[in-house]
Amino acid sequence: MERAVPHAVPLGQVEVFQALQRLHMTIFSQSVSPCGKFLAAGNNYGQIAIFSLSAALSSEAKEESKKPVVTFQAHDGPVYCMASTDRHLLSAGDGEVKAWLWAEILKKGCKELWRRQPPYRTSLEVPEINALLLVPKENALILAGGDCQLHTMDLETGTFTRALRGHTDYVHCLALRERSPEVLSGGEDGAVRLWDLRSAKEVQTIEVYKHEECSRPHNGRWIGCLATDSDWMVCGGGPALTLWHLRSSTPTTVFPMRAPQKHVTFYQDLILSAGQGRCVNQWQLSGELKAQVPGSSPGLLSLSLNQQPAAPECKVLTAAGNSCRVDVFTNLGYRAFSLSF
Amino acid sequence: MSSESSKKRKPKVIRSDGAPSEGKRNRSDTEQEGKYYSEEAEVDLRDPGRDYELYKYTCQELQRLMAEIQDLKSRGGKDVAVEIEDRRIQSCVHFMTLKKLNRLAHIRLKKGRDQTHEAKQKVDAYHLQLQNLLYEVMHLQKEITKCLEFKSKHEEIDLVSLEEFYKEAPPDISKAEVTMGDPHQQTLARLDWELEQRKRLAEKYRECLSNKEKILKEIEVKKEYLSSLQPRLNSIMQASLPVQEYLFMPFDQAHKQYETARHLPPPLYVLFVQATAYGQACDKMLSVAIEGSVDEAKALFKPPEDSQDDESDSDAEEEQTTKRRRPTLGVQLDDKRKEMLKRHPLSVMLDLKCKDDSVLHLTFYYLMNLNIMTVKAKVTTTTELITPISAGDLLSPDSVLSCLYPGDHGKKTPNPANQYQFDKVGILTLRDYVLDLGHPYLWVQKLGGLHFPKEQPQHTVIADHSLSASHMETTMKLLKTRVQSRLALHKQFASLEHGIVPVTSDCQYLFPAKVVSRLVKWVTIAHEDYMELHFTKDIVEAGLAEDTNLYYMALVERGTAKLQAAVVLNPGYSSIPPVFQLCLNWKGEKTSSNDDNIRAMESEVNVCYKELCGPRPSHQLLTNQLQRLCVLLDVYLETESHDDSVEGPKEFPQEKMCLRLFRGPSRMKPFKYNHPQGFFSHR
Repeated sequence: MERAVPHAVPLGQVEVFQALQRLHMTIFSQSVSPCGKFLAAGNNYGQIAIFSLSAALSSEAKEESKKPVVTFQAHDGPVYCMASTDRHLLSAGDGEVKAWLWAEILKKGCKELWRRQPPYRTSLEVPEINALLLVPKENALILAGGDCQLHTMDLETGTFTRALRGHTDYVHCLALRERSPEVLSGGEDGAVRLWDLRSAKEVQTIEVYKHEECSRPHNGRWIGCLATDSDWMVCGGGPALTLWHLRSSTPTTVFPMRAPQKHVTFYQDLILSAGQGRCVNQWQLSGELKAQVPGSSPGLLSLSLNQQPAAPECKVLTAAGNSCRVDVFTNLGYRAFSLSF
Repeated sequence: MSSESSKKRKPKVIRSDGAPSEGKRNRSDTEQEGKYYSEEAEVDLRDPGRDYELYKYTCQELQRLMAEIQDLKSRGGKDVAVEIEDRRIQSCVHFMTLKKLNRLAHIRLKKGRDQTHEAKQKVDAYHLQLQNLLYEVMHLQKEITKCLEFKSKHEEIDLVSLEEFYKEAPPDISKAEVTMGDPHQQTLARLDWELEQRKRLAEKYRECLSNKEKILKEIEVKKEYLSSLQPRLNSIMQASLPVQEYLFMPFDQAHKQYETARHLPPPLYVLFVQATAYGQACDKMLSVAIEGSVDEAKALFKPPEDSQDDESDSDAEEEQTTKRRRPTLGVQLDDKRKEMLKRHPLSVMLDLKCKDDSVLHLTFYYLMNLNIMTVKAKVTTTTELITPISAGDLLSPDSVLSCLYPGDHGKKTPNPANQYQFDKVGILTLRDYVLDLGHPYLWVQKLGGLHFPKEQPQHTVIADHSLSASHMETTMKLLKTRVQSRLALHKQFASLEHGIVPVTSDCQYLFPAKVVSRLVKWVTIAHEDYMELHFTKDIVEAGLAEDTNLYYMALVERGTAKLQAAVVLNPGYSSIPPVFQLCLNWKGEKTSSNDDNIRAMESEVNVCYKELCGPRPSHQLLTNQLQRLCVLLDVYLETESHDDSVEGPKEFPQEKMCLRLFRGPSRMKPFKYNHPQGFFSHR
């Protein structure tokens, strides 16, 4: 039996091209505004779309509320990571980090406040920036990516203060250990490295792939995602998703998930993870799978929890990945609806 | 008796009676005038009252005497007789008096009557006079009113206003001194002036009439002259035919065409005129001709008498057949359908010649009852084309012009009013008849100047030249591009079926020199089969897989890796790119839903197609995309990270020069080829 084709409008060249673009769009990063009412999403074409969460979640929401309020071309290459301070939205992708004012961002023709490029060693190819990390106590920003280093940038002056070297392959993800303060970085080389910010030295190294419980050689050794909660760390990627005790550098729980995970986060007493496969997985700390909630994209790359105190009605989990859609979960049990580019 | 005799002798007898009445004595006075006795005169002299007394006295005396007589007679005696005689004589006298009185009374009566009669007569006469006079008075009054009401004709004439009159009229007519005071004279003068003017104008009118006559005559003469010119010109044209042929200017041929064109129905005529104009002005490769029978076209407008004769014949025939066999309802319906779908006997043929000498033959028909135009297409090339199996639909007359403009599939009638006509004869859709009748594309209607507004069906849609002219150039260009792209595809398919991806030299720079993956299969698949494939769901949901598209399956192989590519070819190729969906079978099945790199490969071919277009008119798009697919498969296989747990060397050693193997959170492989350095990098 033939499947019904939804579109009756004849597609000309422009419409076909737009449809193809949407089919092949990947949303790499998300960030919530300081007021909690807006969500920014960055895609592989370098565009950033701002969605109004409050409008989409309100009772009079229509189809148009699920479309972006504004979409603009932010970078030439993909927007791999974003972060929000209390006034700025920082986005980074192909080698540069740009800052945008949240107050101005909804107006058309918004221009970036500033842009910075960390000092790279190689000039043949501009390395990408895969992760941004804000260190609020020191008002600093840490970038890491293709050139295997972690760069610290002072947000006040905009200068790059330090470069932390140690990874042998490019860095995927960063996490902040508040107390020390220490930064954890996971990379393509399969190692999770801890760095002390004040002394700018590598304090600890965990080579995940060398541990038999979690290594999965057929997937590779790369660490795609990191999250930390004072003494504990969870990481995943090529190797299985594992919970580690940091001081002893031992894996305590291995989560039985075959697909490589691309994003992981602690939430209340659960661990949420997402990656290849449609679902957002909820794990108990003991290693049991509490729930698997399917989303609309075939693979997920980023999860974002809107915990801004200013907007409790917009407290949602949003997931995005290999499609032009951002899934919104109002309660962790099911997907409420999807925003779309 | 005695009274009678006295009456007779009355006028002549003079009587002198010893009558007791004094009146009688008076009468002798009246005798003096004449010697006759007139009792009438006597009447006037006597007093009727005294006469009445006399009468009463006489009657008394008579009664007394009678009584005495009676007494005497009853007494008897001798002296009685004398007494009686005496008394008798007295009574006789009294009788005589009574008679006279009676006569007088009669005379008085008569006189009275005569007088009354006279008076009456007088009164009557006066009365008549009065009547006459009154009548006359009334008559006169009426006449007066009539006179007063009389509207003279002169008041109906609009006279010029007073000021104008005094300005314009010559003084001998206006006579200002006289007329100013006297309105009667003034009006007279104005009437005079009016008359003057009218006379003048009548003169002018006569003059103009005569002028007109003269000019009409001149025109007649000139017309005759011109009509005599026509046969002379014809003879000149005939004489010039050989010269025309010698100089390659076939005016006569064009003229004959125009003659035939006069019998075309309006939309075909619009198309003919606009196409010829366009051909002459812009495109020398376009030739227009009219085909079909002019006599039949003329017969369509024949007067009914002739057709009635035919009808009666055919009626007779029909009756015969009905006696033999009743035509079934289906046959009758069939006839009605055929009648509804009848074509006009004339058709316009357009031949579009392309640069490589291939020709697109378009024949345009007009369906009279439906008021739409249809077209049949045929492509001929200079050399015989060997059609590869997969290219069956490319140049087929049914689908070569499909979707020339997006969505214009030509399977439905563009005239909304036709639906009602179809319902009457049980035609569901025109789709069943398009093979026979030709396709009613929307651009065909536009070229014929027919515009059918979508909202409500109009009663009569008439052919409009401006609509046709505005669409002519674009449509012709699109048609040429379509034919050329289809022919290019035709050639390419022939090569693809043999496993060779034909990359032209000017597109070679897009690809590295060494490409190891090979195309092993290229076949067409049906629309339903495409929809059933498990890795094409996204394309179907996005509405990019219509039934007007063409579908193909390509298979690229290298070693143990097999890459299936399902291709959607839009009829609008190459402005609308073909869309690829991939499924790789190597160490498991990988599609875009479970492998980001396969998704990236699809993106390289689908989204970044503009780099692969090649030089205009970009017929190389499909082959370039296929070649790129091979290159991508090479990169994918060679950059696959080595699994340490498995023993043995990599199946595909890395030969491509890459700066980095993985990049970004999704660990993309380096699919972008950089020319001329020859290395691969990430987008």
